[in-house]
Amino acid sequence: MKEIKFNVNGKTHKLNIKEDERLVDTLRNRLGLTGVKEGCSEGECGACTVIMDGETVTSCTVLTFQAKDSEIITIEGINGENKIHPIQKAFLDEGAVQCGFCTPGMILSAKVLLDKNPEPTREEARKAISGNLCRCTGYNKIVDAIIKASKYLKREGN
Amino acid sequence: MSYDVVGKNIIRVDGLSKVTGKATYPQDISMDNMLYGKTLRSIKPHAYINVDISKALNLEGVKAVLTAKDVPGKNHHGVLFKDHEVFCEKKVRRIGDPIAFVVAETEEIAENALDKIKVEYDEIEPIFDPIKAMDKDSPKVHDSSNIVYHYKLRQGNIDEGFKNCEKIVENEYKTSRTDHAFLQPEAGISYIDKEGRYAVCVATQYPHYDRLEIAEALGVKEEKVRVINAAVGGAFGGREDITLQIHLALAAMKLKRPIKAVYSRKESFNAHCKRHPLIMKYKTGADKQGNLIALKAEIIGDTGAYASWAINVLRKAGVHATGPYEIPNVEVDSIAVYTNNPFSGAMRGFGATQIPIAHEQQMDMLAESLGLDPLTIRMKNIFTKGSKTSTGQILKESVPLDKCLAEIDKKMNFTQSYKGGVKE
Amino acid sequence: MIKEGIGLGTMFYGTGYGNGFPDVSKAEAVLRADGKVAVHTGATEVGQGAKTAMTQIACEVLGLKVNDIILISEDTSNMPDSGTAAASRQTYNTGNAVKKTCEDLREKIKEEAKLKLNLNTDIGLKLKDGYVYVETLPEKSIALKDLAKDKSLKIKGSFTAQTTEMDPETGQGAPYWPYTFGACAVKVSVDTLTGEVNVLKAVFTQDVGRAINPSLVEGQMDGGFSMALGYALLEDINVDNGKIKNDSFTNYLIPTSLDMIDIDNILIEDPENTAPYGAKGVGEPVMIPVTPAILNAIYDAVKVRITEIPVTPSQVLKELNKSKK
Repeated sequence: MKEIKFNVNGKTHKLNIKEDERLVDTLRNRLGLTGVKEGCSEGECGACTVIMDGETVTSCTVLTFQAKDSEIITIEGINGENKIHPIQKAFLDEGAVQCGFCTPGMILSAKVLLDKNPEPTREEARKAISGNLCRCTGYNKIVDAIIKASKYLKREGN
Repeated sequence: MSYDVVGKNIIRVDGLSKVTGKATYPQDISMDNMLYGKTLRSIKPHAYINVDISKALNLEGVKAVLTAKDVPGKNHHGVLFKDHEVFCEKKVRRIGDPIAFVVAETEEIAENALDKIKVEYDEIEPIFDPIKAMDKDSPKVHDSSNIVYHYKLRQGNIDEGFKNCEKIVENEYKTSRTDHAFLQPEAGISYIDKEGRYAVCVATQYPHYDRLEIAEALGVKEEKVRVINAAVGGAFGGREDITLQIHLALAAMKLKRPIKAVYSRKESFNAHCKRHPLIMKYKTGADKQGNLIALKAEIIGDTGAYASWAINVLRKAGVHATGPYEIPNVEVDSIAVYTNNPFSGAMRGFGATQIPIAHEQQMDMLAESLGLDPLTIRMKNIFTKGSKTSTGQILKESVPLDKCLAEIDKKMNFTQSYKGGVKE
Repeated sequence: MIKEGIGLGTMFYGTGYGNGFPDVSKAEAVLRADGKVAVHTGATEVGQGAKTAMTQIACEVLGLKVNDIILISEDTSNMPDSGTAAASRQTYNTGNAVKKTCEDLREKIKEEAKLKLNLNTDIGLKLKDGYVYVETLPEKSIALKDLAKDKSLKIKGSFTAQTTEMDPETGQGAPYWPYTFGACAVKVSVDTLTGEVNVLKAVFTQDVGRAINPSLVEGQMDGGFSMALGYALLEDINVDNGKIKNDSFTNYLIPTSLDMIDIDNILIEDPENTAPYGAKGVGEPVMIPVTPAILNAIYDAVKVRITEIPVTPSQVLKELNKSKK
């Protein structure tokens, strides 16, 4: 057992963890953040994507001790408690959601892209979500949503 | 006619819960006092088995090890034939067949207990080739013939038809065995609800049918079982057959505590059905003008160890074997065969997805041999309003295939880029 | 060398279990005391949009807004059986059941309104935005919630698709209804050195009867295209002596966002009389014409007919070498 401190969705947590505890399990089972999905357990599908210090990581391949002192954002923390984030709104408006299992990871990958590159091209959007598998949508409406989100965010910034 | 709501791009009603991460898939549910279940699966494709669970039962934290003996009702399930066992009793028919279900205080203990179950495999000669499996003397996957189903379609006079053809093309096509690869692996939780019902919360395509199959295995009335369909993370046909539903309900019945199980991706691949791989022998003939005159097809589908939807899949393949074309002389044989391969079942298209890999290539081969372009030969033969299919069914309305092809030609210029069937 | 080619695939698909099997969907509609209508039906949302389509159908019949329909479709203890979410049957079958049930509820609402409003007939009554009113005299109206104050109005209904069992010797019969049609054309490139196939352009036309929600249909088309692309070029669980060799996402490859392209999706509307507002199911049809279109385009590019899928680079090279000999 080992004690670590990290920040998840703006809240600091101190936890005793096992050395081999995976971040996805800590987030889902101990913090109740079940918006983090697990689809393959080997970093291939991207369903468990979270943002760690501004970068996307697949939380099934990160051990929790590696998240020590980091700042983590999950889908639950993307925009506080109530209002939905412009990226979430864009996903709804563009019909980018079907079964929804890949959606939290997709939205977080989109957020990291848009944080760094507020006006991405379709190709850049495709690249940004290339680590997130989706079996339902064929990705195109997700790309549409990312482009739409960049417009929503720009409007909001003004 | 215009409508207020129909035809409008209403935002999907389940969308908000999904973009916020609040949609609850079965793996997202936890309950107080919950136990965990893990499935022991066959590692041999065809064998008699002898199972010894005593060491696993003695492991601290193990609450139960369920096997065929623990099924109070019927030890079977299946969407058409009841040829699956809930737990294999005497014989396994494929790698991945469920043999036992361990229930323990933690996932780790359940996992460790799997290694303590001793299975003696007395191997039987397996059969993997669907064509050989049709032989009378081949090893039998179930008790009788390996041929599950034979659909015959006969229209016109096939021999006469081919005599009247200007060109005939023949080929054999093979399709692969594929997985649905829905993103959410199978998971579920079972408990006894306030009304005393065995509640099973899963992700399924058909909750009422699951309820029936669970009740039959538990030996209780349907009303004693309740299936709650949580958010479903994709299905595509892969959630038609039962996977963990009965195992969970049996455990809840026996232990009177909530039981949860979550499959890994690997287990998901090994648990649910696959798309039927088809072998399709095709012979198609047309007259000088490119009108289809005769089509003969032999379709063999490997349904693996269990029938699942094989009958419906090979039937659908057979009925659709002509493609969307009027052909006066047709002979189709579509056969489903048991083997010791992973079992095949429903997957997006039910046999109608495999078939065009043959008939559409046949069309292009015919077009080329007759000096026609691919679009023109199709336009000559497609179903239109009033057409009769090869089963004799009249398509009385809503047959806009000509419009579909006309739109395609506007954008891709098939007719213009070919002259005399040769692309410029 | 990179060579390009175009290819076409055409399809039809018969909806439902078929062959005379009782293909039944049931629904219940209840006008509640708050003026909202609860629709109970066992149509599973697998991501295809069943909940949204059923809600839109109920809204249309009852003149209500999306938020005024409470769809209950998750628990066998409070919904009737509507068959499986497969065979592209939910929009047609359960859509019909929901439409019919809501229409019967609408008539019951009108009867009640006739009594409450002291009218001589329920002819000419209309439902809109939570009110029933006389179309020629809109002031003469009553809110749905006032109608349901004393007793909730409840209707049960069902729909069975028309098919017949085929003759066992000749296969003659009317096995499915309705049929859905479609076609897809693609342009591909084939690298003759590496065997790599890329899809460059796609035009996809899909008969929908009538689209209940065009955006959802487009989403199905994109998704069907993607799955068919994987079927054509990537996917095989690779079974060896009964064992699945590719049982993880490291070796069972499905298309990523970089494998997909933007598709020119065209919805063809030609309403089907027996369908709810003319709508036919598309969940499966949208996968069907794509794989053959890709195969035909590969032939057009390199004049090699590939008869086995998936068409992996090594298979392309093998076939190219064979054709040289």
